[in-house]
Amino acid sequence: MESVIQTIAYGIVVGALYGLVALGLGLIMGIMKFLNIAHGSFIILGGYVCYWLFTLWKIDPYLSIPLVIIAMFLIGLILYKLTLSPLLKLPHIGMRIDNSLLITFGVIYVLDNAATLLWTPNVRSIVTSYTGEALNFFDIKLSITGLCGLGIAVLVAVVLHFILNRTYFGKHVRAATQDADAASLSGINVQRTYLISCGIAVAMAGVAGVAIVSSYSITPSGGLSWLLIGIVVMVLAGEGNINAILPAGIILGLLESASIFVVGAQYRQAVALVIFIIVLMFRPQGLFARRE
Amino acid sequence: MLEISHIDVYYGDLQALWDVSLTIGDGEIVTLVGSNGAGKSAIMKTISGLLKPKNGSISFDGIRLDRLPAHRIVELGISMVPEGRRLFPQMSVLENLEVGASIRAARKVRHDTIDWIYELFPILRERAKQRAGTLSGGEQQMLAIGRALMSQPRLLLIDEMSLGLSPLLVQEISRVIKDITKSRKLTIFLVEQDVHMALSMADRGYIIENGRIQDQGDAKALLCSGHIQEAYLGIGPAEKTG
Repeated sequence: MESVIQTIAYGIVVGALYGLVALGLGLIMGIMKFLNIAHGSFIILGGYVCYWLFTLWKIDPYLSIPLVIIAMFLIGLILYKLTLSPLLKLPHIGMRIDNSLLITFGVIYVLDNAATLLWTPNVRSIVTSYTGEALNFFDIKLSITGLCGLGIAVLVAVVLHFILNRTYFGKHVRAATQDADAASLSGINVQRTYLISCGIAVAMAGVAGVAIVSSYSITPSGGLSWLLIGIVVMVLAGEGNINAILPAGIILGLLESASIFVVGAQYRQAVALVIFIIVLMFRPQGLFARRE
Repeated sequence: MLEISHIDVYYGDLQALWDVSLTIGDGEIVTLVGSNGAGKSAIMKTISGLLKPKNGSISFDGIRLDRLPAHRIVELGISMVPEGRRLFPQMSVLENLEVGASIRAARKVRHDTIDWIYELFPILRERAKQRAGTLSGGEQQMLAIGRALMSQPRLLLIDEMSLGLSPLLVQEISRVIKDITKSRKLTIFLVEQDVHMALSMADRGYIIENGRIQDQGDAKALLCSGHIQEAYLGIGPAEKTG
């Protein structure tokens, strides 16, 4: 019984991190219909920015989050201006998705090679005084970094929910998501809305990078596995359903943890991909898609 | 107020408008009528900035519009009710109205404007929290007009208001629009397939066929013209005399 509760708790902690990983990806896909497959590389880049701040200036990884957000937000603006904004002229959404996939595939090469030049291909991680420490709740052991990741994921999801539902900018984002032309006719500067949204999405990738480099280790080519997780969570949540991303991440985390009991820890990622295929086959609109 | 001068407009490689010129004066209700595919919506989209003319110019109170993005044109005081309403279906009625007041000047007075819209269309107050996609066709049209009015426009463009609505509902919405033009000194440019309704409501009218303006003049005179009666109202010479 104890191990079951421990597994559930671990699944929630890992799942929240999966949700955090997918938030930025889902935001760009939901709003602009761009599939940013360089998202994993941006997560790794965020992790490296945090690593640099820690090793060069001894800034605690969690205290460095505001600086990482600013740096990654600016990188997101550059990404949008240089690579994604020209795609808005394409007449069909399908063409936008296809071309963004090709362009961001190129971005992966640029980012991964830049990371190799700057930080070498060696594995990097952050070791603080609390790394490896765990807290006990009723005999359930949870690492401090894992709990911090959970807290950050919930905080980011709540802030994003607040921005999207309670602010004028959020209403602009949601309007542009549903009908960009009608949004323009309502006086919304859709281009600026997209630009800022792209900045926010890449900043969120950076925050995910902080949570990852604090709990795990990173390498320049490590973005792909995080991208896969992000895509699985995004599909589980349903395209454009940003509010469902964190719950979808937690479901994936719980299923993965449960699979350790059934098929063993070594098949964990395979289980995630099987779930992905099953959802695509039987509920391609996602688990949380609302009926219109 | 608005002057369109010799514009040519294309959808990709396909030319939709040829050398179109028209004017809309302050406080007027002007209508553009024509059959399906004649180029009516192309003119609306060009005025509102969704399409750019290849040649010619559009000016509003002396300011050139034809190179401005759509949101800047809204800031200048032109708002559009698009064909098919184009609401934000997953947002509530209230949120749709709030999004209509996205420009800074309108945002400051949005609460008063929303109250005014609710007075014009009381059903929207009852539906305030309901998602726009679940409204009936008539309610959606009211919301689309309300959303366009939220930006406090001086010129309101209405594209195919009567499409898919019952005659009774069209009559009711037409009455509200006429009231607004008087009380708020709003100028209306109405694009319609329902020629009789549009010309009955308007001060002046333009007839468009195959992307070219074919006729123009006083709306009542156009309504009585033989060409309009034969081509659009289905009244043949025998019926007119008989």
